[in-house]
Amino acid sequence: MSAAAFYSRARRTALGLALPLAALVAWEISARLGDVPSYLIAPSVILASTWDMATTGELWQHTSNSLVRALGGYAIGAAAGITMGLLAGIARPVERFYDPIVSLTYPVPKIVVLPILIAWLGSGDASKIAVVTAAVFYPTFINSLYGAKGVNRIYVWSARNMGARPIAVFLKVILPASLPQVLTGLRVGLALAFIVTVAAEMQNSRNGLGFLVMTAEDSMRFDLMYAAIIAAGVIGFAGDRLLVTLRRRALAGQAIGKEGAHG
Amino acid sequence: MASSLGRFVARWYSVPLVLAIWEILARTGAISRRLMPSLVEIANAAWAALASGDLQFHASISLGRALTGYALAIVFGILLGVAMARSRLFDALFEPIFSFGYPVPKIALYPIFIFAFGFGSLSKVMMIFLECLYPITVNAFYGMRAVDRVHVWAARNMGATQRQIFWRVLLPGAAPSIFAGLRVALPISLIVVIITEMIGESRGLGYYISYVSASFEYATAFAGVAAVAVIGFTLDRVLVWLRNRLIFWERGAAFIGTN
Repeated sequence: MSAAAFYSRARRTALGLALPLAALVAWEISARLGDVPSYLIAPSVILASTWDMATTGELWQHTSNSLVRALGGYAIGAAAGITMGLLAGIARPVERFYDPIVSLTYPVPKIVVLPILIAWLGSGDASKIAVVTAAVFYPTFINSLYGAKGVNRIYVWSARNMGARPIAVFLKVILPASLPQVLTGLRVGLALAFIVTVAAEMQNSRNGLGFLVMTAEDSMRFDLMYAAIIAAGVIGFAGDRLLVTLRRRALAGQAIGKEGAHG
Repeated sequence: MASSLGRFVARWYSVPLVLAIWEILARTGAISRRLMPSLVEIANAAWAALASGDLQFHASISLGRALTGYALAIVFGILLGVAMARSRLFDALFEPIFSFGYPVPKIALYPIFIFAFGFGSLSKVMMIFLECLYPITVNAFYGMRAVDRVHVWAARNMGATQRQIFWRVLLPGAAPSIFAGLRVALPISLIVVIITEMIGESRGLGYYISYVSASFEYATAFAGVAAVAVIGFTLDRVLVWLRNRLIFWERGAAFIGTN
């Protein structure tokens, strides 16, 4: 990296930090002066109490509850979405079956069925996992479908021509070629899984980060509330970074010369 | 005639099929009738809720909130996205906020919004605004960035002013991407309005659905879900229709279509 490039990059980073830092400093100062509403406790206090709760394991308990629900629903929803999506992408009858159902229900927020799922499955993990599954299914299905449909026919023909069996064509041609789209669906789905989990826990739960945020708010324990918000943000962000890294590795050969490598 | 009917059946058969399976499950009692009411019962409940005006009342409140937040997000999201694409300073200032904040579940901030904006509509509208702002801004930004340089050069060469370039070249060029962002944000606005109404409210469809299912009126709850489905589907159709009218030169929008 040349000196000029380094300088311009440093300037960019500094500018990028400017707004959040300015907001934090203003918040800290006004919280210390005491002229803000009581729920805006100072960032330094938030940080200290969050660290405390993280090290005592209090926060970890609720975080792991949320993770189980988010990742459980994500695994089921993504497995179903990718399998069905790829199948629909290569087999017309499967696509014809799903297309009207998916296009009719796609714009519907899946969270509306939560109260009914709670009636069916109880207010424990099962109802939350079910609603996350439903939410994750759609983006993974649609992206896998378009991924498989977008595979260049010539690749399929040449593989067939060279005597590849249908299963080999699927595993060696269609799956790798639709991988970028499948991973895009996985990324959208992961963000949704965390949103829906936290939202479902806010609505009706006895543990988890969403529950923690709401009860902390009710009992005016603002330090706890911010700790839960930070934990939710951290797992959402970390999960996304993890997927981006995986994506970069998985597509190492395909991303050459594409901006898409960024994700 | 017969073949067009055949095509219609081939295209749509799965919807009545699924409904029929539902009806059979409900009628035979394979799943408790109370938990899985038959379609007739749901239709009756929907009719009763419509006749009493409950459904329209709560739906209009949810719709008002969702669309207000969505409209605010459109205005500020497009402005911000365009500013970030056009100015290096704005890009440097806001890009990290959007790339770092994107995967964070912002709904967790809702309690703070309740404190800041109260329990009523304002906190919900602001939450919808925040959640919708992200996809709209990011798509507007990428759309403006992706406009072919050659088009800008050509316009400039032919003596277009900065204003003309913006309105006649950049904005139309970015429009498909902007609409993609709008289409992502639309269901988000409904998700957020429903969930915030479920959490703490005495009006709106989110409240209505959780209230009637807590009182074991599951047929009415399904009627509420159907109302949300109709609203979500209709709004999405309107958006696609609008997109195809405005961006008549690029009919890319597939029926499902995420991009």
